[in-house]
Amino acid sequence: MSQALEANKLSKRYGRTWALQDCTLALPAGRVAALVGPNGAGKTTLLHLAVGLLEPTAGDVQVFGCSPRQQPNEALPRLGFVAQDHPLYKGFKVEELLTLGRKLNPRWDDALARARMQKLGIPLDRRAGRLSGGQQAQVALVLALAKRPDLLLLDEPLASLDPLARREFLRTLMDAVAETGLTVLLSSHIISDLERVCDYLIVLSASHVQLAGDIQKIGQTHKRLIGPRQDVAAVASVHTVIEASHTERQTTLLVRANGPIFDPAWEVQEVSLEDIVLAYLGQQTTEWLPSAREQPGIEVVK
Amino acid sequence: MTWVVWRQHRSEGLITLGVLAVIAVFLLITGLNMANSIQQSGLSDCLAHAPGSSACGALRQAFENQYGFLLSLGAFLLALPVLLGALVGAPLVAREVEQRTHLLAWTQSITRARWLSVKLALVLSAGLVAAGVMLALLIWWYAPSAQLNGSFSNSRFDTSGPVWLAAALLALALGVFAGTLTRRVVFAIFLTVALFVAIRAPVELLLRPNFEPSITVTWPIGQSGPTLSSQDWRVAAGFIDAQGNTTNKLQCSGNQTLNQCLQANGAQANYITYQPADRFWTFQWIETGIYLAFSLLALGATVWLVRRRLN
Repeated sequence: MSQALEANKLSKRYGRTWALQDCTLALPAGRVAALVGPNGAGKTTLLHLAVGLLEPTAGDVQVFGCSPRQQPNEALPRLGFVAQDHPLYKGFKVEELLTLGRKLNPRWDDALARARMQKLGIPLDRRAGRLSGGQQAQVALVLALAKRPDLLLLDEPLASLDPLARREFLRTLMDAVAETGLTVLLSSHIISDLERVCDYLIVLSASHVQLAGDIQKIGQTHKRLIGPRQDVAAVASVHTVIEASHTERQTTLLVRANGPIFDPAWEVQEVSLEDIVLAYLGQQTTEWLPSAREQPGIEVVK
Repeated sequence: MTWVVWRQHRSEGLITLGVLAVIAVFLLITGLNMANSIQQSGLSDCLAHAPGSSACGALRQAFENQYGFLLSLGAFLLALPVLLGALVGAPLVAREVEQRTHLLAWTQSITRARWLSVKLALVLSAGLVAAGVMLALLIWWYAPSAQLNGSFSNSRFDTSGPVWLAAALLALALGVFAGTLTRRVVFAIFLTVALFVAIRAPVELLLRPNFEPSITVTWPIGQSGPTLSSQDWRVAAGFIDAQGNTTNKLQCSGNQTLNQCLQANGAQANYITYQPADRFWTFQWIETGIYLAFSLLALGATVWLVRRRLN
C-alpha cells in the first residue's frame, strides 16, 4: 500500500530541546489517523514538519514521496492543513476567504466550498472574525478541504470547540472522507471522540512514537491481565508489558499480546482504546518535556 | 496572490492615500501662496538679475520673515518615510506571525518565497509611488525657497531628489526586516525607527559633507570673502586663530568693535567650507546608492529569515 506520510528518523530541535526525536512512522493512504499525545510531545512539531512549515534538524519526512520542504510545488497542492486554533484572516469576509483559496490553489473546488458553507449555514458576507468559534473552525476546515488535498492534517481541531461543534466538525470531515477517500491525520487529546472516526492510531510521547497501527488491531492485541500478585517477568518474556500495577494481593497488567495468552492464572479482559493510550503515555510520565511551543490551556486526560 | 495582497493591505493603502491627500492640500494652498508672493513682490526677478542688490536683500528678508516658520514646518515631513516603514513595513510579516495567519498562508499551494516576493513587490512599489508623488509635491513646494537658498543644504537635500525615494525604500525594507526578525508588531515598530536613525543619521551628518572633499576658502579679517552662489552648500564657516584652530564662536564684550573682538579672540582670518552647487546630483546619487545597498541587505536578510528561520 502506498504511504501518504512517511517519516524516517525525523528530528527537530529548538535550541537544546528536542521537540521530536527519531520519529519513524508510516501512514498508509486512505486512513483516518489520530495523533495522540500529551502537550509538548511533539504533535504540532510533527504536523508542521509534515506540511513544510518546519525544516527537520535531522531525518526526513515525505508526503506521497515528496519532501514538503525540498519540493513544495509538488507537495503543497496535495496537502491540506488546519493549524491549531484554526487561524483565519479575521477581517476577510467568508466570501473573500474563498477567493483567497481559489487564487492560491490550482486544485481549488469552488462549488464544493460554497455547497459546504451553505449546508453549514455560514453566511458568505460575514467577516470571519464575527463568526462563532465553531463556525471559524468549520470555515478553516472547508478552506482546507476545497484545496482537494490528498492528505489533510489537522492540529488539535477539536480543542476549542464545544461538544456540539465538535460533532458537526467531525461530520463535515467524515463526509469529505466518504466522498473523496482522502487521508487524514488529526492530532488530539480527546481520545473518545476520535474512536468513532479514526481507524489508525499514532501515540506520540516524549518526542518519540510509542505506538502506531490499525485501531482495530491495537484493540485486539492489547489485553488487561488480572491475577494474584506475582512477578511479571514470566509474562514479560513472551508479551510486552505496557503497564503494571500491584495491590497487596493482586497484579494488574496491560500487555501487548505477542501471541495467545494461555496461562490460566490470568483473567484476560478487553481494554478500551483510551486506557491503552493512557498506558502508553503513562510509560513516559517522568520524561515528558515541557515545551513553550504548544499552546497552554489544553489538559492531558489522565 | 496579487488579489490577496491587495485585499490584505487595501486599508493601509487607503489610509496612506488619505494622509497624502491632506498633506497635498496643505502643500498646494501654502505653495501657491509662496509662488505668488515671490513673483508679485519682484523677488523672483531681482534674484535673476541683481541678486546682490540691497533692494533684493530687503525683499528676501521680507519673504523669509513671512514664510520662514511655514518652511520650517516642512521638516516634519522628513518623518514620512520612517512612518511608512514603521506602520506599513513592520507589520507586513510580523502581524501574520502574531495572528498565526502565516500558518494559513504558507500551507496554500504557493511557496512562501513566492508569497513573500509578491507581497514585497506590491507593497514596496506602492510605497515608492506614494513617495514619488510626495517628492514631486515637495520639490514644487520648496521651489520658491530653493531660489533663495538652493536645495543642497541639509534641510532641503532630503526632499529634493532620489534620496527621498531611497529613504522611503530603506524605511520599508528595514520595517519588513524588523518585523520578520522580532515577529512582534510593536517591537518591530520601535526597531524600525531605531535602525533607520542608526543608518540615516551617520550618513547625513558624517558622510554626506565628505562625499567629495569640501572646498575651504580663507581670507584676512576685514576683507570681503568669496562670492558663493545661493545654490552652494555652506558646510561650515567661522574664524581661524594663529594656531590654525577654527571656531565660530566669539566672546565679545559690549563696548568692543567687531575687529577688536576678533583680535581679542585671536582670530587671524575668516574661513568658509562649502560644497559647490554642481556636485548636487553626484551627492544625491551617492546617498541614494548607500540607502539602496542597505535596503537590499535588509530585504535579503528578510527573504533568508522567512525561508529558513520563520515557522
